[in-house]
Amino acid sequence: MSTLTDSRKRDLRRELESILGSGAVLSDPDELMVYESDGLTLFRALADFVVFPTSAQHVSAVVKLANRENLPFVARGAGTGLSGGCLPTEGGIVISMMRMNRVLEIDYENQLAVVEPGLVNLHLSWKVGPRGYYYAPDPSSQQACTIGGNIANNSGGPHTLKYGVTTNHVLGLEVVMPDGEIVWLGGKTREACGYDLAGVFVGSEGTFGIATRIVVRILKKPQAVKTVLAVFDAIDQASAAVSAIIGRGLVPAAMEMIDHLTIQAVEDAFNCGYPRDADAALLIELDGLAVGMDVQAEHIVEACRESGAREVRTAQSEAERQLLWKGRKSAFGAYGRVSPAYMVMDGVIPRTKLPYVLRRVNEIVAASGLRVGNVFHAGDGNLHPNILYDPRKPGEEARVVAAGAEIMKVCAQVGGSISGEHGIGLEKADFMPFIFSAADLALMHRLKSAFNPSGLCNPGKIFPTKKSCGEVGPVAYRPHAIEEKGLAQRF
Amino acid sequence: MPDALLQKLRTTVGAANVLTGVELSPYVVEGRTPEAAVFPGSIEEVAAVMALASEVGTPVTPWGGGTAASVGMPAGRTGLVIGLRRLARLLDHEPGDLTATVEAGMTVQAFQTALGSRGQWLSLDPADAERATVGGVLATNACGPRRHLYGTARDVLIGVTVVTADGAIVKGGGKVVKNVAGYDLPKLFIGSYGTLGVIVEATVKLRPLPEQEELVSVRFDRLKDAGSAVKAVAASDLIPNAVELLDGAGASGAGLAAGSPTPGAVLVVGFDGVREQVDWQRAELARLTGPLGGRDPRLLDAAAWTRLPTAAREAFSTTAAVMTLVVLPSQVAEIMEQGAGIARGRGLQSAWAAHAGVGVVRGALASEPAPKDPAALAVVLAEWREMARAGGGYANLEWAPLAIKSQIPVWDDPGAAGRIMERIKAQLDPRNILNPGRFVAGI
Repeated sequence: MSTLTDSRKRDLRRELESILGSGAVLSDPDELMVYESDGLTLFRALADFVVFPTSAQHVSAVVKLANRENLPFVARGAGTGLSGGCLPTEGGIVISMMRMNRVLEIDYENQLAVVEPGLVNLHLSWKVGPRGYYYAPDPSSQQACTIGGNIANNSGGPHTLKYGVTTNHVLGLEVVMPDGEIVWLGGKTREACGYDLAGVFVGSEGTFGIATRIVVRILKKPQAVKTVLAVFDAIDQASAAVSAIIGRGLVPAAMEMIDHLTIQAVEDAFNCGYPRDADAALLIELDGLAVGMDVQAEHIVEACRESGAREVRTAQSEAERQLLWKGRKSAFGAYGRVSPAYMVMDGVIPRTKLPYVLRRVNEIVAASGLRVGNVFHAGDGNLHPNILYDPRKPGEEARVVAAGAEIMKVCAQVGGSISGEHGIGLEKADFMPFIFSAADLALMHRLKSAFNPSGLCNPGKIFPTKKSCGEVGPVAYRPHAIEEKGLAQRF
Repeated sequence: MPDALLQKLRTTVGAANVLTGVELSPYVVEGRTPEAAVFPGSIEEVAAVMALASEVGTPVTPWGGGTAASVGMPAGRTGLVIGLRRLARLLDHEPGDLTATVEAGMTVQAFQTALGSRGQWLSLDPADAERATVGGVLATNACGPRRHLYGTARDVLIGVTVVTADGAIVKGGGKVVKNVAGYDLPKLFIGSYGTLGVIVEATVKLRPLPEQEELVSVRFDRLKDAGSAVKAVAASDLIPNAVELLDGAGASGAGLAAGSPTPGAVLVVGFDGVREQVDWQRAELARLTGPLGGRDPRLLDAAAWTRLPTAAREAFSTTAAVMTLVVLPSQVAEIMEQGAGIARGRGLQSAWAAHAGVGVVRGALASEPAPKDPAALAVVLAEWREMARAGGGYANLEWAPLAIKSQIPVWDDPGAAGRIMERIKAQLDPRNILNPGRFVAGI
């Protein structure tokens, strides 16, 4: 937290209100508490102000004021992030984008939409759905998370296996630069003149500026969808099935793995029809043309059976399909049935390394005296081990954090990455050297300097640092407000 | 170039891998001869050469297959060509992971051949694949008709290793298909025309080779009707892998205008997938386009794929200039029509070919029957650019002789974003030695 004096703070509040209007500035510590963490509640930090702009001009004016006062600032969406990426680690101003949530334009002919960053991801698909379109990136928090937040983290989701992640769907952005200038990066066309600044901006975790308008692609809904559940007595068989499917030249829209412990939790909570005694299940979805779909589904079934599946079931109705997906999408909430708390990891490995890495994950967690549930995007090798623990037991949380670091090291050792979709933020800044050299990080830092020379825009993220602020750092778990309301889950 | 530097380069990469004097003729670009061409045999050697160049401030031009060497402004200062042809190995291909890591100097064709032997491919289909290298294709963001479904380099590049201006070896991204750790450096280097670093290695996402692939042409009397057909295809359930629109001249450049009468326009649509899918889509295409004036649906031979990217340029025996206009997909047919009208109004012939579904249009101006005045050509090109800008797009000169480049900027104005680009360039290449002056905004 910064060291503003009370009188200075009062003056600044008045100035912020003159920019944004009353009712758009918070500075009371009780109100600020709501914004002290994101979905990863291990990290907390209090801002001096939380503000709610409704236009790019508002954002620009706030950013310029912050620059004048040498105050750090950070944009925030729905707060569903899982790496502490939007925390005001050095105090300053949290700029909430939640009041900029309009769909500004939909151009069906060119299959694009212009939206504000505070728009909830799923709301865009709702908006264009009646005309037969949808927005493809589907993070599991999509009913709460915002498209601006998706931009910051380059978010993925189950269907990114076939359709790519956020960056593959963003054409351009209007951005308030860290000095307050309003600039367009890219636009509505499929390419932009010069360097791909929109491509560089997406996934920069809020350190390159604040997006105020976003041009995204919308896709035509596929003619047909087929969902298959394959059940295995050994998780290695399920991993082998993933490779076998790829090996047959098939790229399903989604290929999700759910392990034994997770099946128990899901069945306790929702009764989705996953066999309780199974060691693992694969949820596989095909989409595309109606013609030829049965042939492809048959290939999938064969690949699963050859890999040892004891049962392969195709959803016979949309209701059955939804139920199968409900199990997958609600898995994280269901862990509440089997554990008072859990921490979700996010790592990526080459698909062919799945059997080895899953074994190592289980060994590492078992050696810590804890349990782990795995539910993840098997098709693209994006692991989500969820380490279950009891925060009331002294020392358990520290063991979780240590086991998480070990798992990240394993991901790095097999040629993988320490984040597939949650971002580096605060949580993994110190893990960056697992996969990047000093020279790699130096180049990234130069790139940051080109966008954010003062460093005031979302400081303390991505780059490894010694924790400089006493208030930041792992603290005891407690559910975030939006989790408690059931608005979001951890994925 | 000082002899001492030449000597150090020879020591670094071996004397046989340093060319000077008359040996440099393949590396002459627009009449400018570099002082030497160096061919490192390893990434470390590339780094050592860059460090030497950086020390003395000699400009450097990274060189793959040379197929895009004349794109952009010629370097203001001549210097060193760093050729990547000795870095041409496929380092890693794991079919189960659908990824491969390749050295930058491998040609696209050699890479595709190796991948194809194991049932996979890189979903980029640029022109001149037998000469164009993976590194060059990334640096110039080259692609072909299949981008309609599979996107461009930004959709396949998941990791990149570059040698920076000061000779550091740096990597961004990784080897896995999904990765958000750190800034997206692969995006930064795609299409940067060698101005930010020398791409030496790339890791890419692959796709399984489709069971079937077909390319179908449909003729139209009027370009306008073909444009309506493009829109009908976009709004349909079809999932084509290519949607190309050519005017009569462009069609002749792609060898698609044989017979009489010469068509006013040709729509070319590609399909892939399993047999049933391709068959259904071909029939559906005929059903959709027939009522719009489409006739004579015809299955093309596979060689037609490679003629599409250069259709506009190949339309004339002597081409004066080629411009790439990037516009909204819905504007394509109108842009082609309007652009041809502008040329005609100045007494010039033009040819047009577009990746219509994604709004990338190429217009070529003929320099026949007699050579044309560069100033008159530049006027038409400037009007084409204005036309693209009026619809929210932009236009770059893809190919033109210096006489024209001196009359009209090669690159369009990137606007306020240009200042950020300049800052990135200044950060990554503070001595301005990587292809100085070649790119947008004087970068």
